[in-house]
Amino acid sequence: MPKPEYIYVIYIEAPCEKVFDALIDPEMNKDYWGGHCNLSDWKRGSAWQHVDYDDHAIVRVAGTVIENERPHRLVLTWAHPKDLGNPDKVSKVTFAIDEPFGSTRLTVTHSELDDEALRAISGGWPPILSSLKTMLETGQSLPMTRRRWKSGN
Amino acid sequence: MSKLEFVYVTYIETTPEKLWQALTDGDFTERYWFGHRIASDWNVGSLYRFTKGGAPHSEGEVLVSDPPKQLVYTFDGCTEESRRESTSRVTFDIEPSGKSVKLTVTHDDLDEGGVTYCDISGGWPIVLSGLKSLLENGRVLSVDLPQKAKETVDA
Repeated sequence: MPKPEYIYVIYIEAPCEKVFDALIDPEMNKDYWGGHCNLSDWKRGSAWQHVDYDDHAIVRVAGTVIENERPHRLVLTWAHPKDLGNPDKVSKVTFAIDEPFGSTRLTVTHSELDDEALRAISGGWPPILSSLKTMLETGQSLPMTRRRWKSGN
Repeated sequence: MSKLEFVYVTYIETTPEKLWQALTDGDFTERYWFGHRIASDWNVGSLYRFTKGGAPHSEGEVLVSDPPKQLVYTFDGCTEESRRESTSRVTFDIEPSGKSVKLTVTHDDLDEGGVTYCDISGGWPIVLSGLKSLLENGRVLSVDLPQKAKETVDA
């Protein structure tokens, strides 16, 4: 049986480049991703980590950059750091950014999940991506996502 | 035929009352729902209808009307193709979440492989993204829909 996937689509009034950069810029990440940020050199094959902004030693998620085609596509593997060696526990996140009708569309596809991970991320992506939109359109993210979360996603 | 469900969750910086108005007031829906006005007295058992330029687009019966927390209505598209499908159902759940509001839209009882499921899967994200923009910064999305996509969002 194929593993479940989660898809979230959101339209954002901002150029594709700004949406893409907001995914990988720690200074922007921290304001809409619960005080956490994403670190990497973002080259294909490089490692990336989702860490506590105030203490980079606290790593919540880790993985590898599979594709980076700024500003349209970023593909990452995604796992709890302790599970990186277990292929069954490594999922995949694809950020696709396009402009189908003159407005920027961000499609997040989180695939190769087990049921437990599906439940966890299904509650995480909507507030994060809602707040990203609010931040890019109004200059300020949603207050609930500026607070430091106990877990990253 | 098995039934499908589509769920979309978004967080909006607004109040439950304003969100309720945005979902039920034709002057408001016309701005973010690509020209579609909704009309009803919003009593349980009453009918509602979306129209664009006077032409019917979709309609149904109000099943639950509990402002500003929950609105449930049946959904029938008005095109010939969608009329052949069974009636589906839309539930809006509105919950305060910190200084924001969590909106959960659940569209269920959808025919598998039907035109309605296909249309609303593409339609809800763009409609609800536009609703969020309008409530948060007073502007609608600058979307320029081609005719086919307009039909998709319309249906």
